[in-house]
Amino acid sequence: MIRLGCDLGSLYSKFVLLKDQELINWKIVPTTGNIAQQIDGFLKELISSAGISFEQIDCISATGMGANLVKEAKAVDTLNSLRQLFKMFSSEVEYMIDLGGQSITCLHLNSKGEIVDFMRNDKCASGSGRFLELMSKKLEIELEEIDQFVQSAKNPIELSNQCGVFAESEVISYINQGVEKSEIIAGVCGSVAKMVSAQAGRLGVEGVYTLIGGGARINSLVEMVKERVRGSYQAFPFNPQLAGAIGSALL
Amino acid sequence: MYAGIDIGSLTAKLVVVNQKGKIIAQELMGVLPNPLDSAQELIRRISERNRIKWQEIKYVVSTGYGREKIQEQGWAKENISEISCHGFGAFHLNPKVRTIIDIGGQDSKVIKINKNGELENFVMNDKCAAGTGHFLEVMARVLEVELGELGTISKKSRRPVEISSRCTIYAETEVIHSLQQGTSKVDIAAGINKAMAERVLTLVRRVGAEKEIMITGGVAKNQAVKKELEQALGIKIIYPKIDPQLIGAYGAALFARKRGEKK
Repeated sequence: MIRLGCDLGSLYSKFVLLKDQELINWKIVPTTGNIAQQIDGFLKELISSAGISFEQIDCISATGMGANLVKEAKAVDTLNSLRQLFKMFSSEVEYMIDLGGQSITCLHLNSKGEIVDFMRNDKCASGSGRFLELMSKKLEIELEEIDQFVQSAKNPIELSNQCGVFAESEVISYINQGVEKSEIIAGVCGSVAKMVSAQAGRLGVEGVYTLIGGGARINSLVEMVKERVRGSYQAFPFNPQLAGAIGSALL
Repeated sequence: MYAGIDIGSLTAKLVVVNQKGKIIAQELMGVLPNPLDSAQELIRRISERNRIKWQEIKYVVSTGYGREKIQEQGWAKENISEISCHGFGAFHLNPKVRTIIDIGGQDSKVIKINKNGELENFVMNDKCAAGTGHFLEVMARVLEVELGELGTISKKSRRPVEISSRCTIYAETEVIHSLQQGTSKVDIAAGINKAMAERVLTLVRRVGAEKEIMITGGVAKNQAVKKELEQALGIKIIYPKIDPQLIGAYGAALFARKRGEKK
């Protein structure tokens, strides 16, 4: 059975092809203003580069903010998609923390993979992918370079503001003071980790948890979150940014 | 002569009053990185423009976020919180005032005072940019209009856009989206002013506003925000007779007069 899953997020759009439970192809592109017109092209590319034809696909589903932009797909709920991911783990995963572009979502699952409780912050940008993106842009650091910079940091700064707008001013003032980029970005990641763990704490995360979403691609951030969140961490078996798309395909 | 120095997060203010409490000199400028430098520059300016010798000032009170440093340096005899100073300043401008809505560049406060002008209660937001002047600054930049224009261009609006995000960052995305869709700046500005007022109203409701209400701080200069607040509260809001950004420094100067007279 071949399934296609799409996840149209606020910052990135993700497309995956699954053959049973095996990931055979995937694509990640920034969500731009004219994403609606681009989707068909992305899907064709995804399918043809996997060496299959459109007819072979059994079902297409989409999730995320722009789910209904994918005309061919059945739009599915994000939480329900993420819930499906528990099938991808060999052992039991009780909690999923999604570090998304515009929200942090924590899910609590029971042993059957049903949602027991969840918490989502999408009202405030603090700690979101958008927050991280905003700060790294000010520092002229690409998202892929964050790890490299954080690793070389010796005395990370500590941001006193949670609000993204105020934190941005704080970052600018550090830049003006001549503080090294690496110390600033390490402080920013520390701040994100603090907000993520605070939310995890509110949901009472303990036990086996995994981190998914674009933020989980940044290893140094994952390490910082692990230091703060109670419980044992289990890595998502694929690129964590694809989690939403994989989940929707499984649904 | 008595003086009040108010070093805020974005602007620094100085007010000098005479024996009767009348303003004889005032100064407002953007802050310098160090509050002490800001204070020094303010003092230099009034000595130059108003020919006031600092040594002749009998008593000085500092307020605002740099108030302690100013006192430590010996430039003020005392420091008093900006909340008390705002209350005292507003009360002297109009003794009927019981509630002050102060919207500054980096925070907003709603202050309640009693019939003697003393602080009764207050709520403050300095954690989130929504509902502060910073929100308007970000939006003015996106719309490519001057900060002062936001409150005037919106008057022509027929259909204010609705800004659903509370967060400034997400609201900025919404505004960019509206612009891309061809919505007029006029309607967007109206939506921004409305959103601004709504954020402030949550603070007002928390403390429970009582008549009369005065608006102070830089955002008071935005007439549209003031109007939105008036409509929502169903009451006319008093606009101060002096620059609304100077109320804190004015209150500090009045405290200085009160303290100085006792001695």
